[in-house]
Amino acid sequence: MSSDGIDRVIATDVLVIGGGGGGLRAAVAAHDAGARVLVLSKGIVGKSGLTQTAVTGFQVAFGYADPRDNPEVHYGDTIRGGYGLADPELARIFCDEAVAAVEDIESFGARFDRDEDGKLIQRKLDSSQTYPRSIKKGDSLGTPIMQALRREMNRRDVPRLHEMLVTKLLKDGDRVCGAIALDFQKGEIVEIRAGAIVMATGGAGELFPVHSNTPDSTGDGYALALNAGADLVDIEFLLMLGHAVLHPATVRGVLFTFQYLLTKGARPLFNSEGEPFLSNYDPEGSDNPARHIYARAVYGEVRAGRGSPHGGAFFDPGSVSHETLMDSLPSQTKYLEKFGVDMTKPIEVGAAAHYVCGGIKIDTGSQSTVPGLFAVGECSGGPHGAGRIGGNSLTEILVFGKRAGAEAAAFANEGNTGNPDRDDASSEADRVTAYLSRDRSGPRPNVIKARLQQLMNDYVGVVRNEEGLRDTIAEFERMEREELPSMSVAEENRVGNYDWVEALEVTAMIRFARAMAGAALLRTESRGAHYREDYPELDDQNWLKNVLIRHSGNGDVLDFEARDCKPSPEYTPVPAEAG
Amino acid sequence: MEKLNITLYRFDPEKDAEPRLQAYDIESDGPLSVLQAIRHVYHNVDGTLSFRNSDCRRGVCGICSMMINGRRQLTCMCLATDGMTVEPPPNRTIVKDLVFETD
Repeated sequence: MSSDGIDRVIATDVLVIGGGGGGLRAAVAAHDAGARVLVLSKGIVGKSGLTQTAVTGFQVAFGYADPRDNPEVHYGDTIRGGYGLADPELARIFCDEAVAAVEDIESFGARFDRDEDGKLIQRKLDSSQTYPRSIKKGDSLGTPIMQALRREMNRRDVPRLHEMLVTKLLKDGDRVCGAIALDFQKGEIVEIRAGAIVMATGGAGELFPVHSNTPDSTGDGYALALNAGADLVDIEFLLMLGHAVLHPATVRGVLFTFQYLLTKGARPLFNSEGEPFLSNYDPEGSDNPARHIYARAVYGEVRAGRGSPHGGAFFDPGSVSHETLMDSLPSQTKYLEKFGVDMTKPIEVGAAAHYVCGGIKIDTGSQSTVPGLFAVGECSGGPHGAGRIGGNSLTEILVFGKRAGAEAAAFANEGNTGNPDRDDASSEADRVTAYLSRDRSGPRPNVIKARLQQLMNDYVGVVRNEEGLRDTIAEFERMEREELPSMSVAEENRVGNYDWVEALEVTAMIRFARAMAGAALLRTESRGAHYREDYPELDDQNWLKNVLIRHSGNGDVLDFEARDCKPSPEYTPVPAEAG
Repeated sequence: MEKLNITLYRFDPEKDAEPRLQAYDIESDGPLSVLQAIRHVYHNVDGTLSFRNSDCRRGVCGICSMMINGRRQLTCMCLATDGMTVEPPPNRTIVKDLVFETD
């Protein structure tokens, strides 16, 4: 080890952080733009992230299923689904470029389901889509996309490093110029110097006890960007789905997209009294409403004492034939049956954290407010606004992945690689290493994480209110002040020390949780994925605004700013009530 | 409450001359997948256990593949059973315990 605590230094033009679909698409694009690229993932590059787990569809307005559909209609759906807060330019880009993005991924060898005439099959997920628009591959859409991207990575021999947790972004003046990472397998502190960085770190489902994500979805990218001075936007919009399986615990949080079965005669969700209830909660009275309505409706039934034993509602897969199940949702059905779920009887379904609609604020070049720092996918913010309609996430990673990679390569090619501040690099190495030598009497990371998850579930989840949010923020501040400094890892061994990784993750998680709760507190209305029981109405007179969050460098203080946004004409503001 | 006794492979190449098998008693509210059982040991019984907390819960990533009672299977896709033994696949270079070098 050198005197500054850094074990290894690596240099590249474009550093991609994250090994899921958005990261790989960016890496391929950056390589094709002539840059040297390095992809880091805290998991296995190409086998981590959420893209691979995608099940049933992504939205591309080919207009095969209904010739009236086109990118303009898709754009209108996206703007309405974001309740007026999506950045119109960003939403426009991904709707307009979606068709080309699918052609790109098909040229990489991905294949999707087509009908007898060779046209892509398009289905409708829910009422947020004007026309059937979601293309599919069985019910495992992520697989062909990731296979194709892995193949392109291999064909170009793009360098990658597995199991590297980035703990800090390094800067030279205003711009980013590198990162510090912990190598899980070797137990080394690594410095990466880069001309530009693409964040593709995914979401933060692990902030909640029940989620549809992988356990490594700890929101690292948001905290890294905040700490580097970048703006976050729209992060109060945490999409909770209502179609996660809740019991048994082996499958808790796993999604079962029964919506596709409703058109095939399946019985709609019902409560413990056997009554359907969804239409009571949907302003439009649909019994298959937009996704974010589901979780809130189930929550309402549970609170009224009509919930299932594990806090949800019931769906009866037995109301369609097993043949229909296997035809529509084969891998989901097989998975549940493998864990002993009887698919001829009602199953308990309910809320699971699924997607952070906002994130690192990007411009049309996918660049954050910090020069040289780009972002793509769930960790980025802007294209979706207050709600992400189902199937827009895969569209987004393909469109903006390509953009982020090309733009990052151009940025890196223009300027020289900056010189990281040496004090920053060595003090970060010291901070990371110090966990190993702490005394072992404090709580382990998972204990603090469990407490964080419970608070998020109870006060920053499906339903929020001022008192709960204020108390939770105060508690997060206390945890940052008192618990994190005494948190201890189970052993001092450097190699393969998962407690060490988890300690660093939990530290970042609390920072981001505090940002999310703060934004939710500021927004005194209900809109899209954000619901305040003390302000249950949508308030277009006062809240056609985006909440921006930044860490301006004054200790641990986060600054929140509500900034007016101009919604696209596709969004019709709700007028103020007369009188 | 379910009680399980499971045996896990332990080996720290920096310190140990030979790998060993270590038995653990765990209690849980209900059935666990094999990966959940390993995570349970790590969080509640022995934090010095090294493993990969990679859990796609769809059997698609393949990272969690281990030898369960001598048969190679995905630990996210199998139920944990009393008396089971979990080891890394053979002929892999062990980083520590259940973590082995990737291709």
